[in-house]
Amino acid sequence: MKTLRRAILAMGVGTLVAAILRLRGSGGVPPRQGKWRQLTGPDFR
Amino acid sequence: MVSRPAKGSGDNSPDRIFAEVPTVAVIGCGVVGRRVARQLTASGLVDRLILGARRPQRLHGFVRQLIDIDVDVIAPGPLPAAEITVLTQPSGGHAELAEEALGNGSHVVSISDAVGDVQGLLDLDAVATKAERAVIVGAAFSPGMSCLLARHCGQRFDHVEEVHVARMGTGGPACQRQLHRARTKDAVEWRNGDWVKRSGGTGRELVWFPDPLGARDCYRARLPEPLLLAASFPETDRITAKVSATRRDRFTAWLPMLRRPHNDGGPGAIRVEIRGVLNGDQITDVIGAIDYPSAVAGALASISAEWLLQEALPHGAWSLGMLDDPVPWLQELEMRGITAAVYEGISAT
Repeated sequence: MKTLRRAILAMGVGTLVAAILRLRGSGGVPPRQGKWRQLTGPDFR
Repeated sequence: MVSRPAKGSGDNSPDRIFAEVPTVAVIGCGVVGRRVARQLTASGLVDRLILGARRPQRLHGFVRQLIDIDVDVIAPGPLPAAEITVLTQPSGGHAELAEEALGNGSHVVSISDAVGDVQGLLDLDAVATKAERAVIVGAAFSPGMSCLLARHCGQRFDHVEEVHVARMGTGGPACQRQLHRARTKDAVEWRNGDWVKRSGGTGRELVWFPDPLGARDCYRARLPEPLLLAASFPETDRITAKVSATRRDRFTAWLPMLRRPHNDGGPGAIRVEIRGVLNGDQITDVIGAIDYPSAVAGALASISAEWLLQEALPHGAWSLGMLDDPVPWLQELEMRGITAAVYEGISAT
């Protein structure tokens, strides 16, 4: 029983750490120059 | 590869239209299927529409909206005889249905974004060519418009080295379920002339989509763009595809969908980044679009069907990224209110 509790606790802690590692942070920084321009008819000629 | 019907070709005269009763079957009447049906009805090129639905009784109200056209609604079963079969049903089984439709002498348009479907449809190339029929693979938002934009953007390069596609947003509920499955499956990427598998959900990258959607974290998923673009860019070092995901999406990706999908998962966006060499300089170009994925999918599938009815698109199995000239398609999309955008100001390095 004691071993089972320890195993469940270890799995829980492992899952928590994995979730934090997986979800934290961001994938980079936004561009600091440039902008979007809509393409119109002349762009396709 | 021919990109659109030439003016005056395809025998699209009123005599032909009203004499031969062109028939199109739209198999799957979800969000995209209904848009395709509406646009084909409005085109005036189709006299008879066959709608395939799991629950035909639910389409009575919709069918009443389609005027000046004969509409039949059929339940799942053998595919009906039609000039064009548009497969707008949920992903899975598109290749088998396409093969059956080819056996009926029908052209096929598929909007599936499942890698298995895409591979199966591309494998029908020999059968379609022999039957002198076309199988258009991935005529949707992503794949579809993403392939058109990549092709258009890549044309100005002397040598394309890398193509990176990112997308966000979904069409109807079936599209959302497919994307939910794709998030946890291995991504297929083209690297240095070979296919490699990378774990889904990895490779976080902050991607700047057209305004007002802006920045979103994107991750690898089992998306079909590398398969479809590799034929157009065979000398490319890398072709990748990623999809945006929130923390909740990633945390729940391994679970069944916990709540019912939205009726329409838009608005969405695509962004295609191409790196390569132009006049000896290393250049990066970024092109994208923002719209409702279901609306773009409906428009592209409808355009495909209309131009196939005019018998001027090539035979065989191909995707929109394999066209010689994507400009006529982009112009037609623009006429239907779907525009692309280019990111200016980051180029030469």
